[in-house]
Amino acid sequence: MPRAESPRDDRATGRDDRATGRDDRATGRDDRAPLRSATVAIIGCGGLGSSVAEMLVRSGVGALVLIDFDRVEEDNLNRQLFFRDQLGRLKAEALAETLRRIDPSVHLDVVVERVTAANLLPYVFGCDVLVEAVDGVDDKAMIVNVCTSELPEVPLVTVSGLAGSGSANEIVTQHIADNVYLVGDLASDVRDGLPLYASRVMVAAAHQAHVVVRVLLGLEHP
Amino acid sequence: MKVDVALFASLASFQPDGLSGRHTREFDFPDGMLISEVIASLGLPDEPRVIFVNGRHASEGAALSAGDRLAIFPPVGGG
Repeated sequence: MPRAESPRDDRATGRDDRATGRDDRATGRDDRAPLRSATVAIIGCGGLGSSVAEMLVRSGVGALVLIDFDRVEEDNLNRQLFFRDQLGRLKAEALAETLRRIDPSVHLDVVVERVTAANLLPYVFGCDVLVEAVDGVDDKAMIVNVCTSELPEVPLVTVSGLAGSGSANEIVTQHIADNVYLVGDLASDVRDGLPLYASRVMVAAAHQAHVVVRVLLGLEHP
Repeated sequence: MKVDVALFASLASFQPDGLSGRHTREFDFPDGMLISEVIASLGLPDEPRVIFVNGRHASEGAALSAGDRLAIFPPVGGG
């Protein structure tokens, strides 16, 4: 796990050629080096995952594994980072295309697969942080159970409770177990018929992305 | 044996004292009680859940030890 307690200065190497000017030239420090060298797995590229991926790329994370089996549909456009001309495309591929428009140098592995307890591990093995961003409770529990039992030393960010019009201030990040961060209000459930608003989904996505950034910077407290 | 039990989210209402909130409660269980037996004794619903003991993943068939911290978390849908 990269640590950044002592910000490093990589300017002498001249390696910072990334499109988004992330080398903090004003300070002369390279605070984002731990992000650039990191690989983050995004399991589910829908409302949460597409926005988490965008924020991580803009924040300077160097590599993402984008995992999703689904295609872009009309009713995704009210909250997910897709566009009308991407309707029908595979989400993981369409998202990769968008992320490369933001930063052509980001390394992306696209996995078009529905994850199961039997196939998940090889896709996320070697990643520095894992992000659970799926919608169904069975898949959420499966992903958390597989990751925390098989990869207990790899930080996992999971989400639970982001539906409806409740206050955005109810969505929080908690460190619920070793290497496990839980984002959400823990209660609002789409199974209760609550709608998904872009604003509240993105609050949760921002919590997820930011705890990933903090973990990569060596800051363990959410 | 004494075991601390934290029930997250909707499961909090299954704490025997009926008080809301995710506060850890101390229980006195028979030595070697299985997590599955704790789940049954609390009457938790048969829904997807994640279990941690002392901050690490645990399976329902695992036995508890004195001083353990048991946490049970039920995901809710949406993403």
